[in-house]
Amino acid sequence: MDELLRTLDTAQATTHLARPKPGGSGSLWRMSAIARNAFREAVRDRVLYNLVLFVLLLTAASIFIGELSGGQERKVIVDLGLSAMLLFGMFIAIFVGVGLVYKEIERRTIYAVFSKPVGRGEFLIGKYLGLCLTLLVNVLVMGVGVSVALLYVSRGWDPLIPTIWPAVLLIYLELMLLTAVALLFSSFSSPALSALLTFLTFVIGHFSADLKILAVSMGSTSARWFFKGLYYLLPNLANYSFITPAAHGRTPAAGFVLATALYALVYITVILAAATLIFSRRNFK
Amino acid sequence: MNNERLNTITLGLVVVVGIASAALLVRWTDTLRPPVDPNAIDDSLYLNDKTARRISLGFNGLAADWYWMRSLQYVGKKIGNYEGDIRLDDLNNLNLKLLVPLLETSTTLDPEFIAPYEYAAVVLPAIDVQQAIRLTEKGINANPNAWRLYHHLGYIYWREGQYQLASEIYGRGAQTPGAPAWMEAMKAKLLSEGGSRATAREIYTRMYEQSSDEQVRDMARMHLLQLDSLDQRDGLRKLFTAYQARNGKCPESWSELGQIFRTLRIPMDQSGAPLDPSGAPYLLKAGACEVELDPKATKVPLK
Repeated sequence: MDELLRTLDTAQATTHLARPKPGGSGSLWRMSAIARNAFREAVRDRVLYNLVLFVLLLTAASIFIGELSGGQERKVIVDLGLSAMLLFGMFIAIFVGVGLVYKEIERRTIYAVFSKPVGRGEFLIGKYLGLCLTLLVNVLVMGVGVSVALLYVSRGWDPLIPTIWPAVLLIYLELMLLTAVALLFSSFSSPALSALLTFLTFVIGHFSADLKILAVSMGSTSARWFFKGLYYLLPNLANYSFITPAAHGRTPAAGFVLATALYALVYITVILAAATLIFSRRNFK
Repeated sequence: MNNERLNTITLGLVVVVGIASAALLVRWTDTLRPPVDPNAIDDSLYLNDKTARRISLGFNGLAADWYWMRSLQYVGKKIGNYEGDIRLDDLNNLNLKLLVPLLETSTTLDPEFIAPYEYAAVVLPAIDVQQAIRLTEKGINANPNAWRLYHHLGYIYWREGQYQLASEIYGRGAQTPGAPAWMEAMKAKLLSEGGSRATAREIYTRMYEQSSDEQVRDMARMHLLQLDSLDQRDGLRKLFTAYQARNGKCPESWSELGQIFRTLRIPMDQSGAPLDPSGAPYLLKAGACEVELDPKATKVPLK
């Protein structure tokens, strides 16, 4: 049944692709059709079921954490909620992200898509935006969940509620970056390898500060340049970790958020361009 | 009943019965397993604080919470295994050798997390005062505006009888933004009457008012009960002196002082014995002009 629905979705999407919206930009229209389709597919694949697990986790934490945390339940709720948001989002970005292109190739639906006037770049970006939309829904619902849990443990308004949202935004930017990385790897390798490489990028991305320290402490010039190069080449994900300060009621400066958003935008553009470059040269025969 | 349905029911039953059997087997093996040495888990932590911080990726806050809750569970389990009454600030009999690394890791993972510093300041002085001072100072260095940590550090020095140093710490804390006015008053009080009961009362009252940790509040409340009881016993001794001056002997039973207690509105039980702050009757040492707490009935700390 699911397979049939997916095929119908692809058919519907390709029909949309064949009829560009009059007056609108054809490319944008095609990308949005693919994005909507990718979102629908993610929903149909029960990706958003993780929200149920998240709600159960937060409900249990709200009820029991007071007993265990020695009066620190508000901090624990924020740490737990935002960390789960990052963790669940990371798994979605990795495991759904690496399958975005691969599944279309495996099911051979990609031929139906490319038989229409759709560029490979448009296809990739559309898929990317579809998963970003899924992640957006995910983090928004989770953010509301954390806020409700705070309302519950504080028996009313909690000053931490507004402070978690900038951290939620940074988490979302990190997930967008990670999704782009997953898409890049999946454009040329198998899903398992892509998932592993994306996960390693996530880990190394959080060690970027150590790379810089390593570069400074290196004796030889070539090693220094190598680690410095890695520091600038790999995504700096540590900048998006604002969970712990948010749990203490601190918010990032507007300039910092703007800079990290710009960095994400530039990095995502670069990765998607590279992914498109690789994907354009790929032979599906 | 068709075959498919029969299969479903059979498999469903296998799952339910299987899970129930597995649970029963676990219970059975639990009874067969030799008892766990309560100190066996005390060997060491798998990770030191710096490694834990490094590998926590973006989840250092959550990891800090986990280590914090583990500290509470660790102490709670030790207290649970201990036979007899024990107070949070007098746990040196419990062999809490993992507590310092647990609190250290929690605070390294999240240096702004105040609760572990406060806990260290209250629990550790009886176990290892130098570690208590070091951890509280670590908290002050990471959170120079957290006046409550100065209050706790001052408390440690006051406990050690270093009133001059405690006074200086309160003075430093009073300078931090948002510090309450009583921090400055405490500085003066510690200088002029560091070892007095009034200073102790002030310190524990503030600790009770300010702490968000229920265990710390409970400990402060017990100390305040103790101070109340000391005041009450001093008052009773004065009554004994007055009674002795009038009658030439110490009272043999509480009933001899009943009229005075009623006049002074001192709460009594049915036998006429005055009640301590926890509601238990005081014991009179007949003919000795001395009063003491009833160790079997009172909830007031005896030492």
